[in-house]
Amino acid sequence: MFLVALFFSILIGVFIGIFTYRNPKFAAPVLNGLNVVESVPDVALLVLLLPIFGIGTEPTIVASILYSLLPIARNTYTGLSNVPRVYIEIAEALGLTQREVLFQVRFPLSLPLIAGGIRIAVVFTMGVVTLGGLIAAGGLGAALQNGIQLYDMGTILVTGAWVGFLAVLLDGIAGIIESTLKARYGTWS
Amino acid sequence: MTIKKLFDRVDSVRLENITKKYGEQFAIKNLNLEIQGGELLILIGRSGSGKTTALRTINRLIEPDSGTVSINGADVREFDSVRLRRNIGYVIQNIGLLPHLRISENVGLLLKLEGWNEEEIRKRVRDLLTLVSLPPERFMDRYPHELSGGQQQRVGLARAMAMDPPLFLMDEPFGALDPLLRTQLQDEFFKIKKELGRTIVFITHDINEAFRLGDRIAIMNNAELIQVGTPEELIFSPVSDLVSEIVDSKRKYRHIDTLKVGDMMQPLAREDTLDPGMSAESALDLMVRKGLEFAFVMGKSEVSGRVCLNDVLKARTRGIELKEVTRALPLFSSDTTLIEALAKLKSEGESMGLVLEDNEPAGVLFSDRVLQNLI
Repeated sequence: MFLVALFFSILIGVFIGIFTYRNPKFAAPVLNGLNVVESVPDVALLVLLLPIFGIGTEPTIVASILYSLLPIARNTYTGLSNVPRVYIEIAEALGLTQREVLFQVRFPLSLPLIAGGIRIAVVFTMGVVTLGGLIAAGGLGAALQNGIQLYDMGTILVTGAWVGFLAVLLDGIAGIIESTLKARYGTWS
Repeated sequence: MTIKKLFDRVDSVRLENITKKYGEQFAIKNLNLEIQGGELLILIGRSGSGKTTALRTINRLIEPDSGTVSINGADVREFDSVRLRRNIGYVIQNIGLLPHLRISENVGLLLKLEGWNEEEIRKRVRDLLTLVSLPPERFMDRYPHELSGGQQQRVGLARAMAMDPPLFLMDEPFGALDPLLRTQLQDEFFKIKKELGRTIVFITHDINEAFRLGDRIAIMNNAELIQVGTPEELIFSPVSDLVSEIVDSKRKYRHIDTLKVGDMMQPLAREDTLDPGMSAESALDLMVRKGLEFAFVMGKSEVSGRVCLNDVLKARTRGIELKEVTRALPLFSSDTTLIEALAKLKSEGESMGLVLEDNEPAGVLFSDRVLQNLI
């Protein structure tokens, strides 16, 4: 569930980032729209999705994706837009097409920032997936919700600790990937 | 793999009535300039004088508001800008090596986009790095930030040469380097330039660099071209105070190490030379007729030396051959620097030397004339 949500978040998020970069007039409306989605509390978002997707994993995945789009799309957009002028100029002067400039220069040089966005999305997704337990999405979240409903301190503590541990672990992994990319593609070294 | 080329060689690059305005400000004002095939033309001027703008109109990084740029007579707007740029090498001051690509990938970037295979690219990259004095095995797999400024600049040069372009645009390529390194790179660049025989437009704000490297120098100020000419023309006949200030014509002797023998020699024609087989009689006759006090003796392919009127008279009275009285003299080529030539004259105790171009007499260099001209 987590991986599926994250996979689609990255796919759609990066796509939106590139799309808004190539069509700047959509940048403000699209990113602001995502901002609005972001501002809906996660429980409310799950409830809103219930009529459309029913209960279970689907609405949870959709909610995770909706939440994760903003950091990924915004970082992709910012990254692509803020590649230092000098690299773009030389690439154009050498005779790269706009498309080649985008994919050979802008995109790789934006990877550290995009990875930063994905790292935030990892934590968001983690939170929403756990909350998915409320609407029968299964997983650790379900056990946690059970514990809360029954006021079973032991279950709450064990599942809570697991969820926390997983979140820290995944964030750590994402962090390592991010700093590796920064070392490789960072422009401020 | 062969490279699809727009032009194999450049015979001329012509900028005609180029004007470019940014708002109310002129970046270039009615610029007319012709760059000849095979020459290195320097564009020099203060920052904001329009030199970079002028350079960039050539590969269409900047489209002028009016006027045309043509290469070999064809308007550059007829070419696809991407193809055009791939046929023109481009080097800039801050180099702009792409930080996420290895040196080999940076140099081979265009080749890859042109569809060369890995092996061909690696071979070409090796050759190019060797040409700019970077051992390929040590540098190919490094990243730009692991290289010093001078090494990065060499890579920039290699990258510009990847597609083997007949024309190069260079915007202060050595500007960011310390003076020692700059001189070293200039020397190497000069060698490469001679080997490749390409047409180059080169921007600098360093007049010494301009004199060292340039065949001709174009001086720009306030968006206008002030004067264009060889170093010698600029030094000896500046059109304005600004030019004379820039080329420092009040202290011409400072240019003794950049001015060439060719700039200072007196022209000499084949018919003013004597044949070694000539009799003293006819030699004397020729010299008197032409009013020569001395003459050079040379055969079809070899130079014997010089004789003065006195020598010829002596030969006639004693009835000996011309070559017996001929004295050897120093020979120069017209791209020898003045300082080298003068040093040679001094060491040989001579006051003149013969300048040869392709084994043909081109002129005479007189040491006293050089000194008079320089002061």
